[in-house]
Amino acid sequence: MKIVRRDLTRNGPGSVKMIPEEADDLWIAYNLIVAGDSVMAVTVRKVMREAASGGRDAERVKLKLEISVESVEYDKEGAVLRVRGKNLLENEHVKIGAFHTLEIDVNRPFVLRKDIWDSLALDVIHQASDPNASADLAVVLMQEGLCHILLIGKSITLTRARIETSIPRKHGPAVAGYDKALTKFFENILQAFLKHVDFNVVRCAVIASPGFTKDQFHKHLMLEAERRQLRSVIENKSRIILVHTTSGYKHSLREVLDAPNVMNMIKDTKAAQEVRGLKDFFSMLSNDPERACYGPKHVEVAHERMAIQTLLITDELFRSSDVATRKKYVNLVDSVKASGGTVHIFSSMHVSGEQLAQLTGIAAILRFPLPDLDDIEM
Amino acid sequence: MPRKVNYGIDYDDDYEDDYNDDYDYDYDEEVEENGITAKTMPAKEVRTAKVWRCPICTYDNEDSMSACDICGILRNPLVKSNIQINDVAAPFKFNVPSPDDLVSSGLQSLKMKSKDNQRDTNIPVELELSAKDQESTSASVTRQRGNGVNEKDYAPTSGSIQGVPHSNVNTEAMSSKTGKVEQSIERKTASISDFTPETWMIPETVDGELSQLNLAIVGHVDSGKSTLSGRLLHLSGRISQKLMHKYEKEAKQQGKGSFAYAWALDESAEERERGITMTVGVAFFTSKKYHIVLLDSPGHRDFVPNMISGATQADAAILVVDASMGSFEAGIDATGGQTREHAQLIRSFGVDQIIVLVNKMDVVGYSKERFDFVKQKLGTFLRTCGFKESSISWVPASVMENQNLVANSSDARLSWYRGPFLMDAIDSLQLPARDYSKPLQIPICDVKSQSQSQVSACGKLETGAIRPGLKVLVMPSKEIATVRSLERDSQPCSIARAGDNVTVNLQGIEGNRVTAGSVICHPDYPVQVASQLEMKILVLEISTPIVIGSQLEFHIHHAKEAAKIVKILSLLDPKTGKVTKKSPRCLLSKQNAMVEVALQGPVCVEEYSSCRALGRVFLRASGRTIGLGVVTQIIKREN
Repeated sequence: MKIVRRDLTRNGPGSVKMIPEEADDLWIAYNLIVAGDSVMAVTVRKVMREAASGGRDAERVKLKLEISVESVEYDKEGAVLRVRGKNLLENEHVKIGAFHTLEIDVNRPFVLRKDIWDSLALDVIHQASDPNASADLAVVLMQEGLCHILLIGKSITLTRARIETSIPRKHGPAVAGYDKALTKFFENILQAFLKHVDFNVVRCAVIASPGFTKDQFHKHLMLEAERRQLRSVIENKSRIILVHTTSGYKHSLREVLDAPNVMNMIKDTKAAQEVRGLKDFFSMLSNDPERACYGPKHVEVAHERMAIQTLLITDELFRSSDVATRKKYVNLVDSVKASGGTVHIFSSMHVSGEQLAQLTGIAAILRFPLPDLDDIEM
Repeated sequence: MPRKVNYGIDYDDDYEDDYNDDYDYDYDEEVEENGITAKTMPAKEVRTAKVWRCPICTYDNEDSMSACDICGILRNPLVKSNIQINDVAAPFKFNVPSPDDLVSSGLQSLKMKSKDNQRDTNIPVELELSAKDQESTSASVTRQRGNGVNEKDYAPTSGSIQGVPHSNVNTEAMSSKTGKVEQSIERKTASISDFTPETWMIPETVDGELSQLNLAIVGHVDSGKSTLSGRLLHLSGRISQKLMHKYEKEAKQQGKGSFAYAWALDESAEERERGITMTVGVAFFTSKKYHIVLLDSPGHRDFVPNMISGATQADAAILVVDASMGSFEAGIDATGGQTREHAQLIRSFGVDQIIVLVNKMDVVGYSKERFDFVKQKLGTFLRTCGFKESSISWVPASVMENQNLVANSSDARLSWYRGPFLMDAIDSLQLPARDYSKPLQIPICDVKSQSQSQVSACGKLETGAIRPGLKVLVMPSKEIATVRSLERDSQPCSIARAGDNVTVNLQGIEGNRVTAGSVICHPDYPVQVASQLEMKILVLEISTPIVIGSQLEFHIHHAKEAAKIVKILSLLDPKTGKVTKKSPRCLLSKQNAMVEVALQGPVCVEEYSSCRALGRVFLRASGRTIGLGVVTQIIKREN
């Protein structure tokens, strides 16, 4: 994200002009914009115009509109942000108070004006402008008959492709059928791999599977690259890593990120930190369950007793709620930080964020055990 | 098409408007009526083969004629035609039971006795009829109305008819196929107890005929499972000497001379190259007492899902342990040993008889101490799994040297062992009870698509029986297919019953509609398909606790899906089964609990109380089995 102009006061009103550069940045913008803010951008609107002869004519006009946000929608696969709201600026074509939907796309600048720039929002902006934290890992997660191709970005994980086939067993006369089916399966994966994995953007590609499927696919990939002279694969041979996982389902992505050789590559990125944070939480929950808690009520109670050492929270909680709830969470985050604890804000588009969201979206590792939490209803 | 229904159609065509309300009668009544109707139909069919009687002029027409020779009336009138109105003189008052019904009630007693004999004729007839029905949907509508008319018939005499059981399956089949699949499925799943098996389904106990035993071979990696299977096949004569020489030669060429016997089971290039088994190898051989189906499972950790899929079919198991120093300890290791995991899985498949083969005794010099050590350590573990002392047999052997397998050991060092050799131990296994009298269910473990609309599916029959010519339903794709032929052990067979491991060649279904994990079942007793289940689970030893939202892999018979824990309902006391705590925060090792899981995709499943094989569940995560369970309730059904 490119921050063009910044004009704001901490915990006060202000505006920021920015240009999203990739899908990740749109996600960040999605988290920033809440109902009540105002967004100004160049957009296209269909305008009715009366021609001289009296007939109506619809024309598409490019205008600069500022709207007061009522709702925000993020289209994951299309990588587009839709902001809907009422018009604020005086304009020759559009009346004040008319509804309009702004589409914020990659490489289109927009200005965001907020009433209160709280610490969270400032944090997000700061992170967005940080250039070196781009994770960008492509993962081919497979098992026999099932394959997911995922792109792990700074704050989002996108499923680019999912390939599923039925591969027959290999006994007796059907051995040939097995080979054929497996080759066809690998061919499909190869096509998807070439389409979605761009080595200019991605740092490295990981092929992960239980058993030997990854080795078989790697061999197939290399052979085909030689045969078809696929330059992108041949040049980047060294950037393809093989990792062992226990299944080909999406939740095994955690194991991929945990693997030591992958961890080295993405050490300082958000995704890796999130995985580690969640792992710590689970190990605490198994070793000493009274020092770990989840659920808003439990976390609140723990917080009242100043017991929280690490707070794990998903960004979904900030986004969807009304002003009061959002303020409450922001206060929680601020006070945990103030008392010396650490806060991990999980992106709900990452695997670990999804898992935390399943777990009510908020969890905490405590400084000292609180046994009476069990008695409190969740 | 029986004459009886023609009557109904005719009359109904005249009086459509008046008798529309008939169709709103309770299903129960309709079932009864169909029952009665069907019973008379077969009777009529038997009496007058291949002719139909014109309702107007009562001329017996050939079956192939679609219109009456004499009066020209269409056999299945599609449109209300004026001719019929003119022909029928006065409106039928439906206050007197029709002659057919009188005949049928008189025949009922006769029917009940001779039903079984007539089943055989019924099936082809009904199939033919149903095929015809599918061509003309309006004919089905008219027949439906015919049934409606009959209901009105029975209103006054309903008292006597109530006692008729809803046991006629075949008519249901007909009406259901003409477009009312969902409704009849709704009705029929309730009345599974009404299924009465036909005579060909129950096997006659003929002396001298061998029954089939499904034997799974499990154990830690490299303990000698595939080699044992290969040896047994060779010694029982299944594999010729020539073939064995060929395997030996090829194995030596690849530098894997010791794997020669295992190559009989591990047939793919991948398995041979790496020297492991990756999927379950199925082989057949015969012992003195049984036809044995060997299920040679992979021992490697990564292939446990395949082992689960294979061993689902097992009736008994051989647990192979490596007696050599270090290997046995690795196998029984708590954190990763497959000996342990396989034993737990086998027990939870419902297998209670197990033979422990302590292999590679030659490496430890056939020492009694080592054998006793293994027996004692493993014995305590097996007892904690739930195996009874009396159903475990311990056999020391060496597969490589062929000691103690098919004959008493010739080696002097093994003379301290007084028990049976392996084949004797296998013969002393008891067959579990087979469910012949339940409707057909075959969970499919493997599918081969032969050509367009022809598919081969292998599996073991859990309940019921099958033979060529039958129409079967494949769930979850809900497609009907015909059984073209059956194969057992690469030889065609005419009937397969519960417990048999067969390959079913299906016709009339696309290859992509049938997958491993589907279930072949009786068209009227479809297996339930669901994606949200409530189950009772036992948590094994786990490193991270199970919480709401935990993502796991769900294994059931041959199907597997990604699953998520939606709710942890309660903790149960392991001994009494009563609820000790409601809505716990998380589940730790060795706890019993009721949980609710949501699956990513639908699977065929039945409650454990109604069908054991389709109700057993395995939960795995991070490469280990973390839970064993049974389905107690199906929450959301897929329709």
